[in-house]
Order: sequence, then structure tokens, then C-alpha cells
Amino acid sequence: MSVVRLDLGKCIGCKNCVDICPLDVFYFDEKAHKSVIAYPENCQNCGQCFVNCRGRSIGISNETFGYPITAFRNATTAPMNHMVVTDSGVLGYMTDGALP
Amino acid sequence: MSELNKPRTLELRRPDAVSSPYESEYNTDVVVVGAGFAGLNAAAAAKEKGVDVLVIDKGKPGYSGLSPWPSSFRWFDPDRDNADAFRAAMMRGGDYISNLHWYDMWINESKSVYERLTKWGILSQYPGAREAGDYFEREDFVGYRETFDNFDRHKKWIKVLNDYEIPYLEHTMVVDVIVENNKLSGVMAFHVPSGQIIRINAKSVVLATGGGSYKPTGYPVGSDTFDGEYIAYNLGLPIAGKEFEDFHNTSSQGPGNVFLDNHWQYLENIWLCGGDVTNENKNKYADNKGNIMVMGRVKKAVYGINSGDGSEIQDVAGADFTRRGASRCYEEDPDEVRSGKKSTPVAASVLAGAATGMCCHLTSGVFCGMYDSEGKTEIAGLYVAGDGIHATAPSGAAYPCGVGFTSCFTSIDGYHAGGAAGEFSKGVKLSKASDDYIEKMTKEILEPTTRDKGFDANWARDVLHSIMAPYWVSTVKSEATLEAALTQVKYMSEHVIPNLCAPTSHDLRLCIEMKHKVLSAQLKLSAALFRKESRGNTYREDYPYRDDSNFLCYVVIKKDSNGQMQIEKEPIPEEWTGDLNQAYDKRYGYYFPKEPQAKGFTPVEGFKKGGR
Repeated sequence: MSVVRLDLGKCIGCKNCVDICPLDVFYFDEKAHKSVIAYPENCQNCGQCFVNCRGRSIGISNETFGYPITAFRNATTAPMNHMVVTDSGVLGYMTDGALP
Repeated sequence: MSELNKPRTLELRRPDAVSSPYESEYNTDVVVVGAGFAGLNAAAAAKEKGVDVLVIDKGKPGYSGLSPWPSSFRWFDPDRDNADAFRAAMMRGGDYISNLHWYDMWINESKSVYERLTKWGILSQYPGAREAGDYFEREDFVGYRETFDNFDRHKKWIKVLNDYEIPYLEHTMVVDVIVENNKLSGVMAFHVPSGQIIRINAKSVVLATGGGSYKPTGYPVGSDTFDGEYIAYNLGLPIAGKEFEDFHNTSSQGPGNVFLDNHWQYLENIWLCGGDVTNENKNKYADNKGNIMVMGRVKKAVYGINSGDGSEIQDVAGADFTRRGASRCYEEDPDEVRSGKKSTPVAASVLAGAATGMCCHLTSGVFCGMYDSEGKTEIAGLYVAGDGIHATAPSGAAYPCGVGFTSCFTSIDGYHAGGAAGEFSKGVKLSKASDDYIEKMTKEILEPTTRDKGFDANWARDVLHSIMAPYWVSTVKSEATLEAALTQVKYMSEHVIPNLCAPTSHDLRLCIEMKHKVLSAQLKLSAALFRKESRGNTYREDYPYRDDSNFLCYVVIKKDSNGQMQIEKEPIPEEWTGDLNQAYDKRYGYYFPKEPQAKGFTPVEGFKKGGR
């Protein structure tokens, strides 16, 4: 779960996100002419909506709820570094440790 | 959640009713299910036979499954490359269970695939993130994407379909192949946003549905959910290669973040690779792949267990966002277009298990025989093609073939299957299943929507993932851990899956996908239990070495006429198993933990000792 809305006012109704999302996360409100993030819990964080959003209305956060289990994940992990959406609408890295 | 991560505006409500843009019934000659590399090539090949083709994709062609994300594309150039050397590397690196019949097809046809995909615009070359400016430094993903919009390969899928005049249904999930009284007559599907049931009557079907994972972490395989495998198994078709695990990694910075791990390879062009295997380096090439892709993961797990605190299971090395760069070839030759996979700024991938459940590329799926050339199944008119659904296994047990092989190979596989399906459809008349049969299938599809209450598919997904992801089930396997996991998965199959509840058509998709994932997990665990040895991408702690006497074979699982799971060995032809009289340490170039000590040989130069 990671797709976020930066600014619904910027959605121009191009429907790219609705069209492209492989996991049926987006629906479309015809009356408001805006996309709807209907099922964020099914977002796989692929970012295709984000890079194809014509109005730059969508962002990607690193709050990957429910996803961090991997085969090798364990309690002694590195500090989490959060990739975040900044005010300018681009991504940045909020780091706890040393990142280049 | 930090302030920065909070959504800036509230979302509108999901619309209550979504209308479907499609008819409820279609007639065609060939229906291709899934529009990745395999499906697109299958559709084109079928159309070139002069028949009608309809493509169905669960998302949008070009943007769904794994096909949007290849970093590279590899082909064999008969004028420059050494076929014997590459073949030898594949045999050795694939632990002598590589299907060399299919491999030879790659040798013979991969260059023509390069030419076809170049013509389609999918392999268009444009400046990479490091050459184009400071997009990477500014993290300006969207700007980079917009600058090179004209080259964007993801759009080319639709262009190819339009150019070929092939109609397609998007966001439509195929749930079953219609086979009444042993006669195939099409597929049943539903349009996911609206829930509309769609019946497609067809003379021939190509399943190019991809593989799957239980839940993606850091690898974009979330929309692949073993759909074709489930359909095929329940039609009684043999499934092979389930025990060989995928090796893809994710990063410790954001282990669930597919975008973090894959953004630049999504945005950049597909790097052209090949020509890096010579007679001089063939053994080293195979051994290095094995050591990195197989042993790196197994040993990390084993050492982690030995250390008692798991501290070595995850590499906590600092992030390197500027890594990658490999497979360069003919660097001094200005005429060589295969420049190799260049430096790409993506996160370092230090955690294994990014796509739990995903097979070692190309080894898993419907088994159509050792010398099959077109994915022809035992059901007349039904073909399979592509990664995860067709067990072609040119890469054997460990995928030693280098980056870029899969995107090229699945294009060959798809082209063969589509051509065969097109040819088949010319010789038969379109038939339709009885209304009663269609009604029965429709009822089965919609069953989760009839429950007022039941299990949530997202909860079931998380439970299954938690059973299958731990390294003692996926990496360092044993009879006890596999049996324990299988007991739990069987419980889910018997008690959870029949009680999944779908309040919306979106949930219906998730419920059906969960059914497929649970069967896949059963097949995977059963195959891993059956293979009582270690080979390539399956490691058994209780059978820690290769057993050439008993397991130079594929493990094939089939549903018998009583509905029971039957498991058998399918021996590899002798011509592909290498010299069995050769000493073990010469025959194989990478070894499982403590194997050299146990077998009393000295590892080859450069080999790191197993065990601590």
C-alpha cells in the first residue's frame, strides 16, 4: 500500500491511472471527472500510475504496510529509510542512516 | 505515518456502479490469454496465419504482469557468438536438467526476435538515466519519463495490436477454459471493474498468463497469480518445475517497495545484451551464476541459522543507489549493438525472497514433453506459452543464462504457440458449449459474491504469504518444514478458500486469485517434498547434495481422474545430462554448504568454502 494522492485538484481526469493500474486500485468518478484511489490495500507500489500521471496528482510513499515480509527478513535489520513525497511533488529520501 | 507521507486530499467515494464497455459474448478463431511478451508474440503469430484473434488481459497490455519491467534483452548472434560454449555453460549452470531442445531454438531464433521487437519499437534505444542529464540526482522520475515519452515501450503493445488489427479486452480476467465433453470451445472471463461475465467462443486458446507470487515484495509480479496454472491443473494437465524457487531480491530500504527497486529499469530502455560467453570462460560463467544466484542465497540463510541470531540472513550493508553494471560484451567493437546492461541507478538488492512463490524463470508450468516445440497440450486446441505457465526449462534448475534471456525467450515461445494455435484453428469449426454447461461455469465463478459473510481475500493472502515466505520453507527446506507448511496450506484449501467472500467485483478477482495461489503453494510444497536432493534453486537441508542417480529429472504433478494429486519423475534425455562418469567436482562448478568437505574434494579456485 503506497500510492497516495498529492492533490486531487491537480487530477485532470486523463484516466491514465485507471487505465494502467494492473491491480484494479483505481476507479473513476465520471461526475467529478476525477480518478478514485479505491483499493490502496492492493497497490503493489509499482509506480506506473505515478510516472504516467499527467496532472502530477499522484505520489508514491514508502509506507509499505503489510509488505515487508521477505524470505530473509529478520529482526536485526538496517534502519528503515523512508522514501517520501515532498511538497514539490517529487520523491525524496528521509534517511535514518548513511545514504549516498 | 510521518506528516510528509500523509495524503494531501481525501479521496472521492468508489463509484457504486461501473458499466462494462464489452459485449457478453464474442466469437473468434484464437483467443490469447495474457498480453506480455509471450502473449503479444502469440497474437501476432496467430494473426499472421490469417485467422481472427482476440487478446484478453487482466490489466492493460504493456502495463500488466512482468512484461513492463525487463531490464535487458539477450540474443545469440550466429555470426559472432560461440554456440557450443553457450550450450556447455547452460548444461553445467542449469545443473544438467536444462531442456536443450528449447535452448537450441533460442540459438536459432533469438536474433529474429530481436529484429521483430525492434521493428515493433519495444527495443528502442534512448539515453539512460545517467546519460540524459541530472534526472537521477533530482529524483525526477516523471520528468525523465515525459522527456522520452515517444520511446516509451509500454505504449507499443497497444500499437502492435492495433497495427495487426487484433482486438483486445482489458481489465478482464479469464477464469476458465471451456472444455465440455473433452472438447475445447473457448474461455470464460469477467470484466473486473464491472463484474460482467464474458463468454468467448474460440477454436483455439493460448494461455500466456505468466507465473505468480503469493505477494510481491519489491518485485512487480503482483498481478500474476498462477491463473493459467490453476486452469491447466484442473483440466488434468501435467505441471512441472514447481520446486525451483525464484531468486529475485528486494532492498532493505523499502522491502515492499516495487517502485524503489525497479523504477529506473521501468523508465529506461531495455539494455541489449549477449555475446559474453566464450570457450575460455564458459565454465566460469556458469559457475559464477550458480555461486551468485543460488549459493549466495542458500549460504546466507545457512550461516544466519548457524550464527543463532539471524544476523547474516539479511545483509545490512549500506544502501547503494548507484549500483549495477554487468554483461558488457565486445566493448571494443563499435559495430556491436549489444552494449550490455549498463550502470542503472536502482536500489541495492540485498534481501532475497522478493517474489515468494515465483518460479525460477521458465522452469515451471505445463509440461508438454521434452521435445515439444509449440506448447501443445493434451487438450486439442489448447496451447501454453511463456514464463511461469510453460515448463520449457532451457535454464534448467538455476537460470544460468544471464540477464535478458527471459524477455527474448518468451517471445520465441509465444510466437511458436500462437502460430500453432492459428494453424489449428483453420482445421476446425467453431463450436459452442451447451447453455447448461455455461450456466454451471458462471455459477462457479460468481460463488464468492453469493456469500453474505466470509473470509476476506486480503487476509487470506497475508496468511498464505506468512506460511510460504520464511526461509525455512522457501530456501533451506526440510521434510519437517515443508510438511508443516503443506498442512497449513491444505487447511486453507479446505476451509478458507471455499468461504471467501466478495462484496464487489474487485473482491471477486481477489478471491479467485487466492484460490489459484493456494493450489500453487500445494504444488510447490509437494514438488519440493518429492525431490529428495538439492539441485539449483531448490535446497533441502535433509538431502543437502545433488543426487544424479535419482533426480536427473523433472518433477511432474498431475490431477488424476479421482481428483488426487499424482507426482512422477520425467527423466532428462541422456544427451542433455552431461558426462556422468566425470568426477563430481569437475562436473559441477558450485557446491552446496559443506559439500566439498563431505565429499572429500578441494573446491575449484576462487570458490568460497561452505560452512563456518
